[in-house]
Amino acid sequence: MKWLEKYKVDLPNLNKESDYPEWAISMTSTLLNRTGSWRTFRPVYENKTPPCSYRCPVHEKIPIYCDYLKRGMIKEAYFTIIENNPFPAITGRVCYHPCELECNRKDYDETLSIHNIERYIGDWGLKQVSVKELRKQSAEKSKGSQQKLKIAIIGSGPAGMTAAFYLACEGHTVTVYERQAKLGGLLRYGIPAYRLPKKILDNEINRLKLLGVNFQTGVSLGKDITLSMLKEKFDYVIIAYGAHKNRALGVPGDDAIGVLSGLEFLAQVNSGRKPKLGKRVLIIGGGNTAIDAARVALRLKRKPVILYRRSRNEMPANPQEVSDCEKEGIKIEFLVAPVKVVTNKKGKVVGLEVVKMKLGKPDASGRRAPVPIPNSNYIINCDTIITAIGEQVDLSIIPDELEKTSWGIAAGEDGQTNLDRVYAIGDCVSGPKTVTEAIAMGRKAAMNIMNKNDVQVFSPYIVKISDLNLSYFSHQPQTKAKELSLSARKGSFKEIHLGFSENESIKEAERCFSCGVCNKCDNCYVFCPDLAVIRDNYEYEIDYDFCKGCGVCAYECPRKAITMIEDSQIIEDNSKE
Amino acid sequence: MKKVVTGNHAVSYGVKLARAQVIAAYPITPQTQVVELLSEFCASGKLNAKFIKVESEHSAMAACIAASASGARAFTATSAHGLALMHEMLHWAVGARTPVVMANINRAMGPGWSVWTDQNDSLAQRDVGWIQIYCESNQEVLDTTIQAFKIAERVLLPVMLILDAFVLSHTSEPVDIPDQEQVDEFLPPYNLKTKLDVNNPRAYGGLTNPDHYFELRYKIQKAHTEALAVIKEIDEEYKKHFGRQYGLVEPYRCDDAKVILVTSGTITSTARLVIDEMRDEGRKVGLLKYRVFRPTPREILRDILYRAQKVCVIDRNISFGHGGIFAQEIKSVLYGLPASPPVYSFIIGLGGRDVTPKDIREIIEYTYKEETPAEPVIYRGVRL
Repeated sequence: MKWLEKYKVDLPNLNKESDYPEWAISMTSTLLNRTGSWRTFRPVYENKTPPCSYRCPVHEKIPIYCDYLKRGMIKEAYFTIIENNPFPAITGRVCYHPCELECNRKDYDETLSIHNIERYIGDWGLKQVSVKELRKQSAEKSKGSQQKLKIAIIGSGPAGMTAAFYLACEGHTVTVYERQAKLGGLLRYGIPAYRLPKKILDNEINRLKLLGVNFQTGVSLGKDITLSMLKEKFDYVIIAYGAHKNRALGVPGDDAIGVLSGLEFLAQVNSGRKPKLGKRVLIIGGGNTAIDAARVALRLKRKPVILYRRSRNEMPANPQEVSDCEKEGIKIEFLVAPVKVVTNKKGKVVGLEVVKMKLGKPDASGRRAPVPIPNSNYIINCDTIITAIGEQVDLSIIPDELEKTSWGIAAGEDGQTNLDRVYAIGDCVSGPKTVTEAIAMGRKAAMNIMNKNDVQVFSPYIVKISDLNLSYFSHQPQTKAKELSLSARKGSFKEIHLGFSENESIKEAERCFSCGVCNKCDNCYVFCPDLAVIRDNYEYEIDYDFCKGCGVCAYECPRKAITMIEDSQIIEDNSKE
Repeated sequence: MKKVVTGNHAVSYGVKLARAQVIAAYPITPQTQVVELLSEFCASGKLNAKFIKVESEHSAMAACIAASASGARAFTATSAHGLALMHEMLHWAVGARTPVVMANINRAMGPGWSVWTDQNDSLAQRDVGWIQIYCESNQEVLDTTIQAFKIAERVLLPVMLILDAFVLSHTSEPVDIPDQEQVDEFLPPYNLKTKLDVNNPRAYGGLTNPDHYFELRYKIQKAHTEALAVIKEIDEEYKKHFGRQYGLVEPYRCDDAKVILVTSGTITSTARLVIDEMRDEGRKVGLLKYRVFRPTPREILRDILYRAQKVCVIDRNISFGHGGIFAQEIKSVLYGLPASPPVYSFIIGLGGRDVTPKDIREIIEYTYKEETPAEPVIYRGVRL
């Protein structure tokens, strides 16, 4: 009964009228009645996984950085992102943002423009956050001193850059070998400047250099260096040379003069050279490379036409890119497939014989397979044919001692190969995938080498829109970012999407539902009928001595960050004391 | 400053001058304008009060009780069905001794649906323990609103001030609106001794066993008894500050009256004219305006009415199965006095039907003429 003494009062003698209170008020504090003993369910604060984070290849904590941004804590927002992804300025531009496809807000009004928010924070961090701060931040995160390792990375694309970043931040010695003359891999040679300005990439690479990463360009695996050489010199080797082999058209004449590979074409333009293009350019394929090649050709003042053998629905290219491409005036012809390259006597392309197609039964990919329509052949006159029907991993340069799959190097979740101390990550493992997936693999490998856990989603529970208390949200259309006008795009490689201003990014961040992630909205604190939610410096705690388990907090939480669980722990019953 | 305002807006100005701190209300015709103007005062910052939008009158009163118990001056306004919906909370306000002030605009109860005036809504709440004051003019409405807060906070009882729908609520009259400084001098800030305190929570209004319940009820009744003197004192104080007073009841030309007519609300104004006319004709008639209905001003009623030979009472209300409610009250006040005057009970004007000078004259004439009333309750103007 010791705790009771705190509340001990002398009960008044109620014999006199003046002793009586005006109304029925208890003589003692009600705190001595620990009503928590009535509880059968208890609320617990438990963040759950928002669908955006779940779907994001690197599981960015989107609600958390949105919350920081709108509270004016942009530095915290930046460090939240780079815990999962070191290059938000790049992914904010080139990632196809699957997060936005899953955003619960899409079923309410419009999806959150996550990539524009990420891009704004990324650009800010690239300018404002010093290398010293990056190091300090990782030092705070990593526990104790670790043995410093020497790591070789083959390939300076997004996977290799990511691994280099995390390893270098922790002070390990990293050497990156790049086959090309310049750094960045696919980011430099594959992605046109109107989507990713070279300056952004250069700044990111420059920062890696400042972090101490040693870059060696013009070095090819199998030619200048071998795996066994590297294994001797380094503690670990990470192979990340990508998938850059163009698939051949596979029709007669596909090696004629004037037939170019899409990736090579892009690489030439991206490295400042001018490929020889005829007036009439045909692009074959329906993927992102085909779209990029067509738009680059347009900027080189040609009139490109894209041919794709299936229909719009089956196009693997990102729909936003496809629509941008068409807006710029590029024609896409669907349901036509090449039959034969027509050449003149000098062996130069003068046309392409094609056949019309129709859609048949679904194939192995689940898409309806194109079937030629007999006798529908015709010839399209053209001077250049750019093939972009898919990229492959160059299997010929995989060292013999490495285990292979039919499409690339065999590696586990964390990038470990069959060889000790050798990792393989990125497209050379998975076949052609996205930049962000390459980043995810780069991070996993780096963490595995440093014996650290990879980033995780908040919980196994993915928050659905039906989990939210939508009464707390008002309809608000998506903030639209500015774009370069169509006329200004002509003949120019200037960036098309112009991103958000500070105000726009904050306005958009405020639209985030913060699904499953507490953002200190105070609803639980305000609604608790028993004042059992204790708020201390915006951290909440539940006083289970008095929480009756009514569940009002969990119900009023707009974002399902509170869970009611069955209460097995019965608190002491007052009456027994 | 003189302003031409409706009865409803007279309430709003009174509440503003009284510096109410919490206003919780739900709109209902004919009360809506009261809180409409108050919400504008709150929005524009002219009144520094928390305006709480609620989903029902029951909640409006609950919010006012809680606000009042935690030390804030609270106000609400309602009418008819809104008041009926509050019924449980009206008991609560009294039991919790919270000095909430409410304006009720007298409106007839449905069905059949009516928005026009009669007194059945407020009189149905006769026994809940609220102080009830019936007003005659817009000036009286404003003055009573300011007085009501002072009365309520002195005796720890809620006060309902009552005005007729449309006849007063929506009718404009010139009203002298006092200066804020003057009102501040008259009405000090609300200061509650025992407030709700989250840091020292106590059980309020909890289970009270037979050992204590009776005593608490007794204290409420005692507060009502004391309230009579307090109302009178505050009314006189009000006169010192503002030059106006209204009394618990108001006798008009009653001194040598053989017949005294008892009225309440706006019918009083019409009756004054009739009394003046009849006095000009040399008839010895007087008028008694019944203003403070609860607590019952028993002594003063007796003093005035005992001198008359006959008393007639106009009721714009009906206690079904019995009769006019004011008449019952008058009868019970006069009961037991040796040779008390007979009481003629008239029911008239239900559901807002007009009560004209002619009607009133006929009521007085009837009382004059008939030795005894033909019926215990006489209905005027029923078309059946």
